[in-house]
Amino acid sequence: MTNYLKPASVAFLIVLMLAAPEIRERLSEQSIKFVEDSESSHDGLPNEWVDKQVICVFFPQDYPNQQFSDGVTMINQEGNRIGENSDLNRTGACVGGFEGYTEGMDFMMDSTRLASGSLSVGYQVGEWGPYVHTIGGLNANSVTGDFSGAYWKLDHNGALSMVGIGDLVMSEGDVITWSIDTW
Amino acid sequence: MYDFHNVALSSSEVLLLNLAVLSIIASSLILSERSLKNQSQWPMIGLLAIFGISGRILLAPIPNVQPVTVIVLMAGAYYGATRAIALGGTIALATNVIALGHGPWTLFQAVGWGFAGIVGAHMSSRLLVNEKVRVNMMAIVAAILGFAFNWIVSLSILIDTGSSMLIPYLLNGLVFDLYHAVGNVVFVAWMAAPLGEMMARHRTTRNREAVREVATI
Repeated sequence: MTNYLKPASVAFLIVLMLAAPEIRERLSEQSIKFVEDSESSHDGLPNEWVDKQVICVFFPQDYPNQQFSDGVTMINQEGNRIGENSDLNRTGACVGGFEGYTEGMDFMMDSTRLASGSLSVGYQVGEWGPYVHTIGGLNANSVTGDFSGAYWKLDHNGALSMVGIGDLVMSEGDVITWSIDTW
Repeated sequence: MYDFHNVALSSSEVLLLNLAVLSIIASSLILSERSLKNQSQWPMIGLLAIFGISGRILLAPIPNVQPVTVIVLMAGAYYGATRAIALGGTIALATNVIALGHGPWTLFQAVGWGFAGIVGAHMSSRLLVNEKVRVNMMAIVAAILGFAFNWIVSLSILIDTGSSMLIPYLLNGLVFDLYHAVGNVVFVAWMAAPLGEMMARHRTTRNREAVREVATI
């Protein structure tokens, strides 16, 4: 058996190196658990993000983001994709696991940067503070359809935010959500 | 001027380069060992440390494949637990300070390799027969130690997260554990027998030490 061990072990190592990305993906999908509580602002987010700050960006069905076209991709505070929740009936990405942010704009810029360009934010500073027109390459003005116009809507813990991102004060465990809305 | 240091290498090119460097180091270590007198145990442990340190750093492009676990296991089997623990700790510290990053995990790696050395020492009679390595037995033990070492090192996450993260973390790392186990088997298959012959030359037999101790009492 010793004679077989040399080639066999090397062959197995090579197979493992080729198969590793696939195996890792399967395992991480199994190991991640999502909050199931429609009352919670963290509903659908990974369990380990409860009490942590999270930002989510959802793209409209007709304008999906190439990087996040299946379900909602979860990205941790180190910028690693830790899993996907495909039961939410929407597509996009959430970056979470943060603590200690108090200003919405700081949090948004720092967290979206971790998606390595796929969630980059474009905004103009106007009379009422920064106005976000583009997230992840999607400019709200380019969204057209059976409506007068579209904009990036900001929700704070599941309810429409009363203030813009520039004035948003964040607490621990807050979830902010961006999605396209129309008028 | 042409900036030779600014050449961007792909990861497989880096690996080939490192393998070439490692084979130069390994072959010069083999030649150095030949010039040692029999029973030069500490110089031999020094050579093993150099091999372990350079092997771990140079093989870093393949995750978790490195010769250290097998070296420490064999050191435990041939030279006893204390020397193997010293060897494992030295390699962990040196590689982390030089290249891979030193932090709380260094302690866990030193403990993990210390554990490998203790296993080697305790199983010495089953791993070695007439000073020769039983390759299949060694391969099995080394594969199990691949998993054990990684789980010991994984405990370091308990320092800043709760225990509820441990199981998902271990599951996530299973592929890397497998890398370590398979890498260990590769090293045992290819190097345990010749390395064992070298190490046997420098083994001061325990019996003789025991006799000496009895005599001094």
